[in-house]
Amino acid sequence: MNNTLLKPVLLLAAWLLAASPAFAQNLESNRYYVQQMIELASANDEHGIVAMQRMLEQNPRPASSDPAAASAALQRGLAALRQDDQQTALMAFQQAVQLDPGNVEAANHLGLVHRKLGQWPEAERALQQALSLEPARAVAWFQLAQVYGLQNDARRAIGALANTYRYAQNAMRAEEILRNIAENEAADTLRNAALATLQLYQLPVATVIVPPLAPHSEMAPMANPASSSRAPRTAP
Amino acid sequence: MNLRRTLAAVLLTLASATAVWAGQYDTIDYYVQQMIAAAATKDQAGVLTFREQLDNQRRPEPGDATQARPFRQQGLDHLAGNRFKEALAAFRQAFIADPADPEIANQLSLTYLLLRRLKEAERLAVYALSLAPGQSATWFTLGQVYGQTGDTQRAAGAFANAYQFAPDPATLTEQLRQLATTDPADAVRIGALQALQAVQPQTPPTSLANPGIPPVPTAAPPPQPAVNSLPNALQPGASLGKPVATPPPASSPPQPAPAGNDNLGQRIYRRSLPITCLIVTTRNGKTDNLGSGLLVSSDGLVITNDHVIDKADNLAVKCGGRESVAKIRRRGKSPDLALLSTSLNGADRFILNATYSQDLIGRDVFVIGNPYGLEGTFSTGVISGLREIDGVRYIQISAPISPGNSGGPVILHDGTVIGIATMGLKVGQNLNFAIAAIEISAAGFFDPSRMKNQPASGKP
Repeated sequence: MNNTLLKPVLLLAAWLLAASPAFAQNLESNRYYVQQMIELASANDEHGIVAMQRMLEQNPRPASSDPAAASAALQRGLAALRQDDQQTALMAFQQAVQLDPGNVEAANHLGLVHRKLGQWPEAERALQQALSLEPARAVAWFQLAQVYGLQNDARRAIGALANTYRYAQNAMRAEEILRNIAENEAADTLRNAALATLQLYQLPVATVIVPPLAPHSEMAPMANPASSSRAPRTAP
Repeated sequence: MNLRRTLAAVLLTLASATAVWAGQYDTIDYYVQQMIAAAATKDQAGVLTFREQLDNQRRPEPGDATQARPFRQQGLDHLAGNRFKEALAAFRQAFIADPADPEIANQLSLTYLLLRRLKEAERLAVYALSLAPGQSATWFTLGQVYGQTGDTQRAAGAFANAYQFAPDPATLTEQLRQLATTDPADAVRIGALQALQAVQPQTPPTSLANPGIPPVPTAAPPPQPAVNSLPNALQPGASLGKPVATPPPASSPPQPAPAGNDNLGQRIYRRSLPITCLIVTTRNGKTDNLGSGLLVSSDGLVITNDHVIDKADNLAVKCGGRESVAKIRRRGKSPDLALLSTSLNGADRFILNATYSQDLIGRDVFVIGNPYGLEGTFSTGVISGLREIDGVRYIQISAPISPGNSGGPVILHDGTVIGIATMGLKVGQNLNFAIAAIEISAAGFFDPSRMKNQPASGKP
């Protein structure tokens, strides 16, 4: 191997060796900050949230090993997602995140696909990564709220929905989405979290009347995911 | 020094972030309220100044209009059918798809208003005004919202802005007059009257506000009288569309007299005559039946009774001196209604009034039609009761009607059509019945894109 080629490769390897532990350490602290933003949002502690946001924004972005290849993988993933081919999309987004851990689009979409596949821990991890890169990304907060809501983690669902509203580009649209979930969502925890979020911000919402449970389990309505009455979960 | 600078920067960031987040709605609401206050004090310059402030606000990114369109149409269809909850679901989806469309935002606001969710209605209307501060329809919605909450002053200001920005001030004036005379909420009536007086100082202060009308909760279902068994004489044979031995029609139809210092009946007659129709049917080449009808759209749709056109081979329609052949677009036996298409285009048409509540009883009504071929016969009476017969809602009236009146309009004092004259009892006196206008939309005869409707609200 000639020296002119060897030198940059060695330099890159050395940088990666030095940077990786720092980045891994950062990941953990970043997740801590994201969790803090959730906790503070559910308590409506505005100044605390902004302080945590600043902490995250000050972190250096992890370096990309191959931005062009990462971008190509991201595009492949998006195309697969449009075709509803989630397995292909998952692999493509994973590759994009590996090649470019600072690519917020890739991390966000990886979280989205994991969520669609019901892989909650993986979805949470990817979305936390996206939020550590861009803490004001409302759509990632919304995905994360659904992950928590569908796992019956009411407190964190409220915090994530509160941040969804806080960072929404169009607050009125986000408000209407929250009302839609609060009035129509089939999953109790998520529906109640949306209701609590609207109340947190003192936004108007109709009182939801939940029909009583069927007295006998055999009389309960059959679950049919294909025709679920869940409110459409449109990203804000 | 550096620490102090950093702290200052952090504080500045905190302050600005807070303002951006919390102030988005509050800012536009402030300008909207200033426009209302300026309009209420006839401060035109103030209205324009704050409108400019709204115009300068950052607009949201355009949404997906293609995705929003079918939801919006669904919402309109549900609204026309008085299915407000379904309309809410549809308009919500349309709004989420395209939050930058001011008409969708206003329609969502209006739906919340109809569902009596006034806080949501206000927020959506204010938001819609941030997208289009000169959209008259949104000001009109907002005026009703404030009126429903009892805030007369803000209702008047919002209505004044609705007038200021109206593309057709005459129509808006008429809408304000209707609110001023018929809305059950005191603050809506008074607000509309004050707005009319502000924009048209000659508006009489006493005749419109109707302060004696008690407020009626519009969301409550209208109380229904007990349906007693009716005498046998009230049968289809007793209907009014089959004149036997009809005398020849008058040689020339009556012409409306020029406007002058005349009473309400004369004004209603003058306005209604050109849009009330004579319907002539032929069968086997001979005149078979005569009846009445009313123009309900600017492109010539005419409503009449189904029994008027029963067994007809051909149909001819004459409205205010204009004639056209007619085709049947829709018909049904229960309710006894038919919708005809004609070539009689023109801006003027009747507005249907979908109210059906006990509050109507005792109100004056006017009937115009062609009894026994006597074109343009005008009569008056009162609403005597509400009757439900075989699942169809009727309005009982004391106005005299005869064979040939069938299919003609029964008109309230605001010019809206409350019913379609259909039948009467052969026994007794002046016991006549009109199919309630609400049945026109309930039975699917109402086309919201072409007809005008005063929504069902329990208020006349």
